[in-house]
Amino acid sequence: MPINYKTGIINEHKNVRNHSGIFDVSHMGQILIENNESYLHKLEKYIPLQLKKLTKNRSHYSFLLNKDGGVIDDLIISNIDIKDKSYLYIVYNASRKKEDEEIFISCAPNAEKIYEKNCLFAIQGPDSINVLKNIIDIPNNMNFFDILISKYDNNEIIVSRSGYTGEDGFELSIPNESAENLINLLLKNENTMLCGLGSRDSLRLEAGLSLYGHELSEKITPIEAGLSWALDKERLEDENLNGNKVLSDQLKNKLSNKKIGLISTSKSMLRDGMTLFDNNNNEIGKITSGCFSPNLNKSIAIGYIISEFNTDNPIFCEIRKKFELVKINNLPFVKKNYKKNGSIYE
Amino acid sequence: MGAYMSEKKYTKDHEWVSIENEIATIGISNHAQESLGDIVFIELPSVGNSVKAKDEICVVESVKAASDIYAPIDGEIIEVNNNLENDAAIINKDAENEGWIFKMKISDSSQYSELMSEDEYKQFLEQ
Repeated sequence: MPINYKTGIINEHKNVRNHSGIFDVSHMGQILIENNESYLHKLEKYIPLQLKKLTKNRSHYSFLLNKDGGVIDDLIISNIDIKDKSYLYIVYNASRKKEDEEIFISCAPNAEKIYEKNCLFAIQGPDSINVLKNIIDIPNNMNFFDILISKYDNNEIIVSRSGYTGEDGFELSIPNESAENLINLLLKNENTMLCGLGSRDSLRLEAGLSLYGHELSEKITPIEAGLSWALDKERLEDENLNGNKVLSDQLKNKLSNKKIGLISTSKSMLRDGMTLFDNNNNEIGKITSGCFSPNLNKSIAIGYIISEFNTDNPIFCEIRKKFELVKINNLPFVKKNYKKNGSIYE
Repeated sequence: MGAYMSEKKYTKDHEWVSIENEIATIGISNHAQESLGDIVFIELPSVGNSVKAKDEICVVESVKAASDIYAPIDGEIIEVNNNLENDAAIINKDAENEGWIFKMKISDSSQYSELMSEDEYKQFLEQ
């Protein structure tokens, strides 16, 4: 997947917000794990959900956790039937394949890495449904984070109403041999276009969504990352869950850092790794992701600052040895536009 | 030095320079704007500053990254392209004409002769 195609990041970004865009995310991990009690029990050591109780045909945002409650990876986990057999279908980050698969295979030796034979496409934006519905059967009542098996080219494909842009959209896991054909058919719609990693990043940042290696790492827990809504609170009492004590303590006590959204007050770009300061030149935190926001026409960022900092006071970002005032902005920067009735994202 | 030289020359930092009556006009090459992608902001240099070749004098910010602009030769900055202040994307549209960034009064024209010609720059890009 390139950073951008011909028309550039900003144009791709706007096309997704206003119409639709297609991302080839085949580099991501996709694995099928048989839905059997012994596998689920082993996986529950890492995944803070009640895996036996996952609703069929629904997806969940979750994590693999290390012993300290830090995030080995963030992932989407779904319960689906394929050819009358029940599976967990997990989509995970390309950069974490090695770490994740070591865990998946140790829990379920016959887990099937289906990214070797299936491409993964995300079509995102308000028009996604119109682009897709003439090609693939999408039920009218399909909500955000619903997932089902559909057919294309006489092959079974996995269709989920999801994505990582803050817009309505779908992800399609489709056998390699049918993938090119499907993309070409989708691209016949003149309002859609191929989009690259650059717009994928600016879209997810505007939507306030975390990215592994930036907001999330082995040293940050989901609670510190402001994602405690994604944890099953009953599981925090379970000794079998990695880091359960750390996490339940963090829920009760004050955290040392907090995640914030920032907007630049000048034209300079806020970028990953820049340092944040208070009025008196004391370091109070760092930016973990920054970009130009095409929707706000300003630079935006996500970062962490120390909890005791009173956010009524001014914050400065060091940009090329100059201190520039930045303003706190509630996340997300751009309102999410999901089709839902009670999704966990609300 | 000659009173009139209009051949456009290029630096290894992907800037172009053209000279007319001892005044050099400088911008980034079309190749540079293509690899930077959408340019959203430029921090223009200060008029009146005397600079040396290879000094970092201003910054171009694209959606992808910040990129330093260097002085290609010694001289004094005498004018900047204020149109870029409101619309830095002019550089994407026309990097080697309307997208010029600043002008310098130059003191040593031999530095200019050492820069690459258009053909040499093309070869440099292919390496």
